[in-house]
Amino acid sequence: MKDLFKTKFDAACIVLIPACIGINYLGKLFASVLKLPLWLDSIGTCIGGCLGGPVIGAVCGAANNLIYGFTAGDNITLIYALTSLGIGAAAGIMARLGFMKTFPKAIITACAAGLTAVVISTPLNVIFWGGTTGNVWGDAVFAATQAAGMPVFLGSLLDEIVVDVPDKLITLILVYFILKGLPKKLTALYEADAEIERLN
Amino acid sequence: MSAADSGSGGLEGRHMAVITVENLRYRYPHTEKLALDGLTFSVEKGEFIGIIGANGAGKSTLSQALVGLVPQFYKGAYGGRVTAGGFNAETVPVSQMCRTVGLVFQNPFNQLSGARDNVYEEVAFGMQNLGVEREEMKRRIQWALELLDIWQYRDRNPFDLSGGQMQRVAIASILVMRPEVIVLDEPTSQLDPAGSEEVFRAVEKLAKSGITILMIEQKMEKIASYCDRILLLHEGKQIAFDTPQKVFSLDDLEEYGIQPPAFTRICRAAGLSFKDGTYPVTAESAAEFFHGKDFEKSRIGETDVSISEPFFSIQNLDFHYSPEAPVLQNLNLELDGRPTAIIGQNGAGKTTLVKLLKGLLKPVSGNIYFKGRNIGEQTVAMLAGQIGYVFQNPDDQIFKYNVLDEVMFGPLNIGMSREEAEEKALEALALTGLTGKEKENPYDLELYERKMAAIASVLAMDTDVLILDEPTIAQDYRGRQIIGNVIRELSGKGKLVLAVLHDMDFVAEFFERVIVMAHGQILADGNGREVFSRTDLLKEACLSQPYVTQLCRKLGFEGIYLTVEEFLGKK
Amino acid sequence: MKNISLFTDNGTCLTKVHPFTKIAHIAAAVSIPLIVGRLWLFGCFIGVSLCLLAWGKVLKRTFPLIAFSFTILITIFLIHGLFNQNNANVLFRLGPLKFYREGLLYALRIGLNILNMLLSFAVLVLTTRPSELVDELEKRGFSPRFGYIISSVFQIIPQMMGTMNTIMDAQRSRGLETEGSLRTRAKAFLPLISPVVMSSLINTRERAIALEVRGFGAGIKKTWLKDRPRHKGDREATILCLLLILAAVVWRVGTWL
Repeated sequence: MKDLFKTKFDAACIVLIPACIGINYLGKLFASVLKLPLWLDSIGTCIGGCLGGPVIGAVCGAANNLIYGFTAGDNITLIYALTSLGIGAAAGIMARLGFMKTFPKAIITACAAGLTAVVISTPLNVIFWGGTTGNVWGDAVFAATQAAGMPVFLGSLLDEIVVDVPDKLITLILVYFILKGLPKKLTALYEADAEIERLN
Repeated sequence: MSAADSGSGGLEGRHMAVITVENLRYRYPHTEKLALDGLTFSVEKGEFIGIIGANGAGKSTLSQALVGLVPQFYKGAYGGRVTAGGFNAETVPVSQMCRTVGLVFQNPFNQLSGARDNVYEEVAFGMQNLGVEREEMKRRIQWALELLDIWQYRDRNPFDLSGGQMQRVAIASILVMRPEVIVLDEPTSQLDPAGSEEVFRAVEKLAKSGITILMIEQKMEKIASYCDRILLLHEGKQIAFDTPQKVFSLDDLEEYGIQPPAFTRICRAAGLSFKDGTYPVTAESAAEFFHGKDFEKSRIGETDVSISEPFFSIQNLDFHYSPEAPVLQNLNLELDGRPTAIIGQNGAGKTTLVKLLKGLLKPVSGNIYFKGRNIGEQTVAMLAGQIGYVFQNPDDQIFKYNVLDEVMFGPLNIGMSREEAEEKALEALALTGLTGKEKENPYDLELYERKMAAIASVLAMDTDVLILDEPTIAQDYRGRQIIGNVIRELSGKGKLVLAVLHDMDFVAEFFERVIVMAHGQILADGNGREVFSRTDLLKEACLSQPYVTQLCRKLGFEGIYLTVEEFLGKK
Repeated sequence: MKNISLFTDNGTCLTKVHPFTKIAHIAAAVSIPLIVGRLWLFGCFIGVSLCLLAWGKVLKRTFPLIAFSFTILITIFLIHGLFNQNNANVLFRLGPLKFYREGLLYALRIGLNILNMLLSFAVLVLTTRPSELVDELEKRGFSPRFGYIISSVFQIIPQMMGTMNTIMDAQRSRGLETEGSLRTRAKAFLPLISPVVMSSLINTRERAIALEVRGFGAGIKKTWLKDRPRHKGDREATILCLLLILAAVVWRVGTWL
């Protein structure tokens, strides 16, 4: 398992990151245009993780939020850089363990990524927003828990689960199909253990 | 540069090989077939080498092997030895090889670093990485931008430039790194002729500057006039490495997917050869042959024009994106069943016109009637079953996992049954030469095959009208013949084929009607012969004549000949 | 080409202030009120940011940013005003809804924090060219690879958006319906987004080659076309910000002891 985190920082991996961040942006845009109750803003991060490995995935995620935060004025996303980092790393680790090879396994990856997001986001939500997530459905759940007198932390956790798990499920299903369609000529570039064979 | 000089040590003075390739063999990862198989050649300083071969012959792989991308970037299996300027391309990192060998490739868009927002800084990108001192960078940038005639665009965003301008920025970006050798991998294959001409002019300037050039190119007339020697590849193997005259006089060229220059074909057919049995390869040398010979001029019979019911009738059409800049003004036009080519410079309004015909844009004023019905009253989806439109870039539409599904998407959308859709799709794939690729992932295909798949995906919808936007870009000789056949086949079935394109020889060969557009207006409209004889008008529209027509003019013939066959009176 | 960066060069002094000074300002504005924990400090820093924005003549362009986070602010006020665990004293009633003092105070704190962050970031975001920020970071030893990633994002997103329009046309030409019921629109999702995602991934191969052949990652010390002279007062302002943060920390530690 020592290869789990093996990462190439060559040009191919470096250019993959901006492309993934662009895909995140598009996903988010589509979700808001179609008014879907999902974020869909980590499609690219997960692709980055699956192709380049956990480290590239983590970089994709963190860079995504940092760049938007610092340049597009959307500093709410800045706080969630940590969450994105976790999602990218989780998707990367799962992919390296072979959990993106078949559809049922991809679903397990989705759960792993979703739970990672929940675990990291919940404390952030509590610290910064007193527990809300800014998503209508999730916040309705949170409001209900608070009205019922449950602790903030538990309410926020439920809020996150309602929002993040379905979101990551859809995201990774999309990622699974995208990866399946990518040509060999491209995916071969990201194989961390590829060697040059000598013909004589 | 200095490092390379000391590397090769100036052993043989003038006849110094700057590139040597010995028994180069290479196989991409996860493939079985060798992409390169036993290449051996060497290039001397200052030479201009042409590399030709059909699509898939291994030309691009070779160009990438010269910089070390093969095998360092792609991995795979590698054999033999490539040295450039004394450096071994297998082991010296690409980021160092690039000081010796510069690489420019097809797609102008993907060659930009993507990290700079003006041309000036874009060109500096490579030098920054190599740590070139500031004043030197500024000197080199100005030199390269002026040499390639793009100094005036230095403050523009490179992504806002036209293809030809972008490609020259790409060449400049490589040139400023002062490589000894520059490898041009089909630099014009994805450009329109105006852009291609710009790039070819730049290449001519480079050739005069004394730099060693290796150029991969499909336009044989250009290769013939520039190159000292030509390397002919076929399926990864080296077929010939010799002078243009010798290579283009080979008997079995067509088997390798190469059509010799028009001038060579004429001389060969007329039996006019040099003493050593080779044929002339340029207009000048061919013209010399014909001078003084009383070559019988064949009469060209006028082809009958069969005017069918008009498909489109355009009346007083006006269009603009913003009122200050009108694109089309008071356009009147009828389109009947003849295969029709619309030619003209970029920005002449050609694409806008066909988008209006397809209903993707709505007229500002005036009307377009399709078979008597006003297009303005129908939605794009309603028109989809009647008017097919193939976009220039196939990647803008592909989204299925196999070619067959991709091609069936359109037919299913317009309400065909699965069986019918599959039948039409298989037919379309056969017509575009993709039989046997039905189950392949479209993204595993090369660009030229994806373009064919995109054409097939519209063909399968069996529409009355087929609109093609630059179908011949990225195609080799064989691909162009296939598209030509598609046009004839559809025309024979009474359908209208309407194409926007820049490839004049292709226009002359396959289209009965040619419409010249400039500044949103129609300058000329008629058959190829009429249109291509109006040199004044072509000049106004910034277009050139087909190569054969140019040769006729050099010979002082009065008639206008459009193709080699016509010239030889075979038609 | 449409730019996603919010920067416009309006030539005011604020655009000439070094990006690092603005970052120091963000650090001070965000951290000090949180360290000290007094409500009025948020007000102070919001005031400072507003003055800076007015000086840079970008106050007007700040409002869309605030409007953007307005929904989340409202949710916070509603939820905490109504349901916060510590709610005891009713402040006012709206029909059947009871708003509590404690919850609203808590929401006010969060709201001010968001506003404060938003405005201090706006000072940087609205008046700094992203490429300049990247260049300065790289000159201070920030990895050029990461610098490339940042600059590249600004070019790649407008490109993708441009491609979207062509894809829309291409798929409609093949009979795809993009308007209508939710079902129709959901069915259109894949044919529309898939080509742009796939081609942007596939293009990375050629983009990587383009970088390789231009010496990217050669490991040589990079050179620059321009120097960025420090603006008058850059140094002083940075030192002041850092001193203020230090003072806040000292005060905090002092109260604990």
